[in-house]
Amino acid sequence: MQRKTLRRWNNAVHRDLGYFFFGMTLIYALSGIIMNHFKSGDFVHPDYSKRYEQLTLALPAGGLADKAYALKSLEQVHEEKYFKSYITGTGYIQIFFTNGSLYIDLITGKAELEEKTPRYVLKEFNLLHYNNIKHWFTWFSDAYAVALILLAISGLFVLRGKNGIKWRGALLAFTGILIPVIIILLYA
Amino acid sequence: MIKKLFLLAIPCVFLLASCNQTTKDAENKKADTATLAVLTFFDSASNHIGKPIRIEGTVIHTCKHGGKRMFLVDGTDSIRVEITAGNNITKFDESLIGSKVKVLGVLKEERVDAKYLNEWEAEVKKPAENHSTGIHTGAKGHEDKGTQDKLDEINSLRNDLKNSGKDHLSFFSVEAISYTVVK
Repeated sequence: MQRKTLRRWNNAVHRDLGYFFFGMTLIYALSGIIMNHFKSGDFVHPDYSKRYEQLTLALPAGGLADKAYALKSLEQVHEEKYFKSYITGTGYIQIFFTNGSLYIDLITGKAELEEKTPRYVLKEFNLLHYNNIKHWFTWFSDAYAVALILLAISGLFVLRGKNGIKWRGALLAFTGILIPVIIILLYA
Repeated sequence: MIKKLFLLAIPCVFLLASCNQTTKDAENKKADTATLAVLTFFDSASNHIGKPIRIEGTVIHTCKHGGKRMFLVDGTDSIRVEITAGNNITKFDESLIGSKVKVLGVLKEERVDAKYLNEWEAEVKKPAENHSTGIHTGAKGHEDKGTQDKLDEINSLRNDLKNSGKDHLSFFSVEAISYTVVK
């Protein structure tokens, strides 16, 4: 096969795989950012953003932390309409409502309000990234991984001349490989 | 147009059929299934290892690393039952926390012996990700434990193992086949 024909095929593969897996690339890239920062401790939860507030609340009359006390405590944070349940432990009560929970120390009255907001869409992206769904998505994501390899290799040969793999392309590709190698050598 | 719709319908039929099969499998298991209570779970767990069981409780925690675990309590958090997601369950979403759920699953035993604890200690001492090993308790903040906390936990388990007079400690959990939220 002539070099010109090979390059045409290479560019066509690169172009069409790029179009076809555009959505998957966005899904993995966006959830990848979330995972990265979740793993490095910047996010408390990958699927929910959380807000915490420290409060001091009234202790239960007679020391009985029951449902009435749970509802009264939720009133103070305007969440009483969204009550779900409560549990008690040694010296504390934890009250759950639809979008969070209220943890009250029954000795000091100090409380922590946790409110969570779902990261809509990103939550579903994370689900795909973790491959919790399994079934045929495993095969589709494998196909995407193979396509990424083809995209990477074919990408090297899209351009001709000094901006291609002969000079500028080679330099950038080498630098891009060098960075993770240095990081592995330094920290792994 | 009709031809295109027909082609689209084929995978949908397969999907529906596989969902229906899953439901039937779960229903068959229900027939000879013991019902365990959260508060007495650990007293009777050893009699049901590998068998299907049903259990109901309030979700106190779901694992934020992929949602493959949740913990059930009943009124107090002194007893927590670990539920792991079986193959049919995508994840236990954080929104389940505080909800009452009914779980159908298979009771599993994990044995922790001296070798297990040594391997766990070696992994914890590595600087890299070390969440895959160890005992999941579902306690507040257990997923954010530092290396020293984990080493303390390992030493505590070594003491428990020594005091038990046995060559292993047993940890019980339920691998969920299905679950429903009780309204």
